[in-house]
Amino acid sequence: MPKLIFRLFFSFVVFVSLFIIVQRFLKPDSFGKYGHYRANSIEDNQISTLYYKGEEKCTSCHQDVYDLKYADLHSEVSCESCHPPKIDANTECEVMPPIIKGSIEFCGQCHTFNKGRVKKGVPQLELNDHYKGENCIDCHNPHAPWELKK
Amino acid sequence: MGTKKIKTNRRNFFQTSAALIGGSILYSILKPIDSISQSIEEETKDEIVNLPLWGMGIDLHKCVGCGKCAEACKLENNVPREPFYFRTWVEQYTVKKDGDVVIESPNGGIGGLKQSVPIEDIFKSFMVPKLCNHCSKAPCVQACPVGATYLSPDGVVLVDDTYCIGCSYCIQACPYGARFMNPVTHVADKCTFCYHRITKGLQPACVEVCPTDARIFGNLKDKKSDLVKFLQKNPTQVLKPHLNTKSKVFYNGLSSEVK
Repeated sequence: MPKLIFRLFFSFVVFVSLFIIVQRFLKPDSFGKYGHYRANSIEDNQISTLYYKGEEKCTSCHQDVYDLKYADLHSEVSCESCHPPKIDANTECEVMPPIIKGSIEFCGQCHTFNKGRVKKGVPQLELNDHYKGENCIDCHNPHAPWELKK
Repeated sequence: MGTKKIKTNRRNFFQTSAALIGGSILYSILKPIDSISQSIEEETKDEIVNLPLWGMGIDLHKCVGCGKCAEACKLENNVPREPFYFRTWVEQYTVKKDGDVVIESPNGGIGGLKQSVPIEDIFKSFMVPKLCNHCSKAPCVQACPVGATYLSPDGVVLVDDTYCIGCSYCIQACPYGARFMNPVTHVADKCTFCYHRITKGLQPACVEVCPTDARIFGNLKDKKSDLVKFLQKNPTQVLKPHLNTKSKVFYNGLSSEVK
């Protein structure tokens, strides 16, 4: 074998083995367990604060409200749609009660007339014509919308 | 130019052939390269088979564009409120009588979408919630140069925060515009199907708060799940099917105007 070819071949082998050795040290433990990524990252993604607790959690204390809501038109609306948790809701809702809204703008998020919303089972209103200036919850019980107070 | 006569005899030919065949058989038995390559072991393969395959169905006949999903997502996943980055958002499509299509999504739909086109000009209007499509053949995963974004064994496209170098290639690669650079952490950010929730048996925040149940989340492998029933009942479509990304977000009632 000519000297030139031998040198070339030799340096190639040296570089490849060096690469393999260095890679062994640098690669994180779980890398490549499922594919070309760090498998432990899946567990990292599972760690995050839970803000929304789910309807079951609310119902464990507020069964009466749930029963009332379930029997009326807002049965599909989950508790936390209208009562979003406060930003640090890792604390229980007894300590930090959720936000309560009932203004015309808030209800209007779903009920303001919009051509893109008609025929979807959600009543559409021209809110300015419908009892000007009052809050929705002054007349309607939000958990049972057809239980009118006035 | 003359042809070169091959200087070999039959004996040499057989010897070389035998050596080559013997060598390749020996190689296939010993497999010296396998110890350094990253092939998935048999045990982990079995583990993957038993995992769920998450997907989402969106019923456009039910979505009213209230934007509660986008709002809940921001709260649940600490997405910066401003500037306007979204993991999920709602778009309002309005087809005018003259054929023009108006697409609007002010503040991602948070606070309820409002119609800007006068009612007499509207031919039809509908809402389209959008999020990461969790493609089985995700372009963003292929684009990532460092293996920081990946398709998890249960079918969710996730980001490895500690590995991401912030090169933004995945943001350019995503055909759905579902990724963004997080201005706080300076790594790529995207919908994870609320991975911290679904692995604890809860629904993603957007599904939890949807007042009309327009979003259906579930396991595509479980034939009794709500999602599979939704797919059986309705003729669904995915966004940009011509890109062959094998998206796992299925839309019912999708119009051809939706890009």
